[in-house]
Amino acid sequence: MAADANPTPQEQLDAALLGFESALPQVSSEAELYELQVRFLGKNGAVTKLRSLMGKVPPAQRKELGQAFNRVKQAIDDGLAGRKLALAEAARERNLSRHVDLTFVPDPPRPGTLHPITQTRRELEHVFRRLGFDVVDGPHVEAELYSFDKLNIQPDHPARDMQDTFFIARPEHDPREGAPSLVLRPHTSPVQARTMLRHGAPIRIIAPGTTFRRDDDPTHSPMFHQIEGLYVDRNVTMADLKATLYRFVGAFFGEGLAVRFRPSYFPFVEPGAEFDMQCAFCFDGQLSHGCGLCKQSGWIELGGSGMVHPAVLEQCGIDPSVYTGWAFGFGIDRMAMLRHGISHLRHNFEGDLRVLEQFTSP
Amino acid sequence: MLLSCTWLSELLGRPLDVSPPFDAGNPFSAVNIAARLTNLGLEVEGVEYFELPKIIVGRVDDVSPHPDAAKLNVVQLFDGARTIQVVCGASNLPPVGGKVAFAPVGAVLPDGLELSERELRGVVSNGMICSETELRIGSDGDGILVLPSDWEPGTLLQDLVPGIRDAVIEISVTPNRPDALGHLGVARDLALALGCELTLPPVSEVTTGEPMPTLVTLEAGDRCPRYLGYALEGCRVGPSPLWLRVRLHRVGLRPRNNVVDVTNFVLFETGQPMHAFDRQRLSGERVVVRQAAAGEPITTLDDTKLELDPDDLVIADAKTPQALAGIMGGEGSMVEAATTRLLLEVAFFEPRAIRRSARRYGLRTDSSHRFERQVDFAAQLELAAARAVSLLQQLSGARCVGHCDARAELPVPAQISLDPDHVGRLLGMDVSASEIARILQGLGVSVDRTNPQAWRCEPPSYRPDLGRDVDLIEEVMRHHGLDELPARHSSSPEELPVLPEDPLRALANALTDGLRACDLHEHVSLAFTAEEHTLPFVSEFQATQLVRPVNPMRSQQGCMRPHLLPGLLDAVAYNLGRHTRPLGLFEVGRVYLWPLTSDDAPDSGNPTDEVDRYLPTEPSRAAAIRAQRVSGDSPTGELARALTRDLSATLARVGLPAQLRAPTQPRPWLHPGVQVGLWIGDREVGVAGELHPDLLAGRDLGEFELGYGELWLEALPPLPTVQFQDVARFPATTRDLSLDLDTRISSAEVLAALTRAAESAAAPGDVQDPPRLANADEPRRPIELLEDYRGAGIESGRHALLLRLNYRAGQRSVTDAEVQALHDKVVAGALEQLTRVDPAARIR
Ligand SMILES: [Zn+2]
Repeated sequence: MAADANPTPQEQLDAALLGFESALPQVSSEAELYELQVRFLGKNGAVTKLRSLMGKVPPAQRKELGQAFNRVKQAIDDGLAGRKLALAEAARERNLSRHVDLTFVPDPPRPGTLHPITQTRRELEHVFRRLGFDVVDGPHVEAELYSFDKLNIQPDHPARDMQDTFFIARPEHDPREGAPSLVLRPHTSPVQARTMLRHGAPIRIIAPGTTFRRDDDPTHSPMFHQIEGLYVDRNVTMADLKATLYRFVGAFFGEGLAVRFRPSYFPFVEPGAEFDMQCAFCFDGQLSHGCGLCKQSGWIELGGSGMVHPAVLEQCGIDPSVYTGWAFGFGIDRMAMLRHGISHLRHNFEGDLRVLEQFTSP
Repeated sequence: MLLSCTWLSELLGRPLDVSPPFDAGNPFSAVNIAARLTNLGLEVEGVEYFELPKIIVGRVDDVSPHPDAAKLNVVQLFDGARTIQVVCGASNLPPVGGKVAFAPVGAVLPDGLELSERELRGVVSNGMICSETELRIGSDGDGILVLPSDWEPGTLLQDLVPGIRDAVIEISVTPNRPDALGHLGVARDLALALGCELTLPPVSEVTTGEPMPTLVTLEAGDRCPRYLGYALEGCRVGPSPLWLRVRLHRVGLRPRNNVVDVTNFVLFETGQPMHAFDRQRLSGERVVVRQAAAGEPITTLDDTKLELDPDDLVIADAKTPQALAGIMGGEGSMVEAATTRLLLEVAFFEPRAIRRSARRYGLRTDSSHRFERQVDFAAQLELAAARAVSLLQQLSGARCVGHCDARAELPVPAQISLDPDHVGRLLGMDVSASEIARILQGLGVSVDRTNPQAWRCEPPSYRPDLGRDVDLIEEVMRHHGLDELPARHSSSPEELPVLPEDPLRALANALTDGLRACDLHEHVSLAFTAEEHTLPFVSEFQATQLVRPVNPMRSQQGCMRPHLLPGLLDAVAYNLGRHTRPLGLFEVGRVYLWPLTSDDAPDSGNPTDEVDRYLPTEPSRAAAIRAQRVSGDSPTGELARALTRDLSATLARVGLPAQLRAPTQPRPWLHPGVQVGLWIGDREVGVAGELHPDLLAGRDLGEFELGYGELWLEALPPLPTVQFQDVARFPATTRDLSLDLDTRISSAEVLAALTRAAESAAAPGDVQDPPRLANADEPRRPIELLEDYRGAGIESGRHALLLRLNYRAGQRSVTDAEVQALHDKVVAGALEQLTRVDPAARIR
């Protein structure tokens, strides 16, 4: 019976299979399933080890034992695969039974914002670049020479009163003589003079930038922003100015808005004109019927413009008998206020978070 | 400038429709006149309408005291048809038979009050006897308006006095149009635009008496090239007639007396200022036009005592200045009630000097306003003089007994050559030669068309603004109109250059976007600051480097900002006073500083160098600030960290990653233990940290924690274009390292030690393609800082830094053993360096 006490290979295989089958239902995860697979079919697994029995049975039984071995292995493989499928199914069921309320999410962080003046300036630059303009700027502290004299605004002429200007004191530590009188530029026009002096004609630029005037009331800030356009070339006409402004208004405010000129005076242009656009805020595709923004007139005053004064061209080294040019300018701050419906100028420079954070943009 | 349509109608020789509602088709209605003026470049600011539909002349038939009120009278007033009882409180009620302005029951006063029958202390009053102010025809509200005794009772007042019914148009006159500072000049423009004939103001036949060459002496050369003086006798100074007072009131002037009123009337009619002296009070009864002696005193009409400058022009008698020429008369020779003899001045003064004097004393008068824009020196000057003499004779009885026309060298009228084709070429639309000639001649320009390509044009002397052909083209444009101007691009044969982009502008835009992406909000602050707010920065520049306006508007705007922090702090303070939310702002802009030495002035070969070498520097900065209330005992440094991260992230985002290490010099306005420099290579490009508690206390922000940081755009390299590197095909092998270190050893020092150790540990030549501490081709850095741990398990004053080191070879997988060998060398090398500064430094 001692021999009988030793189980036969077949018995061992059956016991292994029995062990597997009793363990299989306990498996509740893929990891446990893998563990079970290793336990029986791994390098040192219970079934794998039984393969060594092959050498211990008589050759006649080997085939039979081989087949039995394969049957057991197959049974285990099938059990594993079935269990795997069941586990996946159960997991899928569990997954699908979840419910998440997406109507509630924590408040997202408030996105950073660009100042409405920056947004408007960039949009203006974008539109004018599309129209073929280069963008330039110059110093804020500027020589009177470029702020006035080169622009045909003579000393002691009343045209100097058209803007109340900040003058800048020379530093005590600079003893140099012959220093020019300096101002905070009251308009971006010195950039015109600088660009013409430097690059000559033909030229087509816009100059957006910071400007300063001694004005401080509900509609004026001592610091503000202007944009100025200049085109000098052969055969440049006032009709070309109108065409350019028309295209600009179309691109910035919407197609179809009319542009009109009203004669006016700016010392650096002659003839000079203010330009208005048809009010975009009460425009029905044909007519502007009047609203609060245009004071019921159907027109919005935008800025000043005209044909560059030949004296300015001469002063800036360009021959007015060969070249003509036009220039225009208007306020960026006001454009930003119009665009966003900002009610008061003061909102522009106070830095109130509750104001700034409204101006989200792409 | 206020324009009376009544006045314009006299000069246009035809009636204008001055009361609404208007017939839109009537070009002579006030609204259409206003629209026309705007189209002519005389921009209309507003139109106001006046009329007194039911106010009549009343005759006082009886006056008796009110039985129950001491100050009131009961007046029986005849209105042309019947006698009406009115209660009146005025003290200047005329005697029986006198005439007054009467508003009967049913009349509506200009302020909207409709009169009804009412009882005043038991006496019925059927209307009201009115004052000038109640009727808005004058500024004298002291008593009722007493009318001439020969006026017919019952007549409508506005039928008797021209200008009571009126429309007043306010225009803003640009500095180039002195002619439009009188009704005559405006009427001249309108006459051409409306196709009517200009009617010059009537001048009655007056004698100007004997020539009196000694009346006026000119001693100031071209400062006063023409001076008409008139000696008048027998003047009776008194109030002006109602029509004149109404007229002056309509254009915003306060009537004084008939003499002064006439000079003001003619000024507003012709644009020519004039002045009447009491000749009796002129020493020598004559005037000298000369420049003032330094410090010479004068007391002007408005009782201001001035000490004159040699640049001032004065009208003096034989002894002292009697007027600041062209600006204001002197108190010593002003016309008074007792004046009988006048010296009337009608002159031309050189404009620029008048402007200098007027600005010197802050005196802006109707007179200086016109002289500094240049008045006529020829026909219109003479017309104004004749008009004034004629009106003075008519209204004050003064006779002209002598005159003097003193002259020096007069300005020469411009001779302009105009190619009529140039009009169309410049405007970009066709305007016929005959249309051009019609407009120019209509404006008083003499046009000689002998040469069809070069017309010889001479503008009238009242249009000093017309000096070049483009000025004439503007006149054509104004009158031809711009409605037909096409929107048509012109074609040029030349290629337009493409100007180089300013790299700083691109950088500023990129940093703006980067900071915004850090959930910060862009702020734009005024570029001015108070000098006291620049004090924290004294270690960075000297006080004389501050850029200061000579004429700031207020002391808090006394200098240009040398730094972006004060403006951001102002905004923070503004917000913290109004709401409690955490705050994050940024600003990208310029600051202003004079260079300390002028040697490094730019010399770029540009034509603007001449000026640029004297300009202050305007470096660009990008600065950000974060603020929140301190919750515990002291700030945590959390915001300084956040700010440092914002700046690092922003730089990384634009392709300019920076290293963090100690700043070159500690900033005294930042917390001494909470600040860091941002470095690109060996260049410091910015600084960040926590704002110093003393700075915050000075701004009343003591309870807040503020992180601040800034980047210096000029120090940053240009925006790079990314160069592609092939992705690593073989994975990196990592080793984690935990070090126990003194807290004074910064992470930057640890990283540097490890990097140095890795460089010397590499064994070139030993193996082909050895593993390196390198990860440049992956987003991760070669050494990552995972945690900076302080607290339980760590001695106080020490911290545990958890780091991850990435090792890889270029073209192959590395073995664990290789990496471990290298890692051990790196750690040993780093510890050797670290123990030099912290002997207790060890691996945990
Ligand atoms: Zn509108």
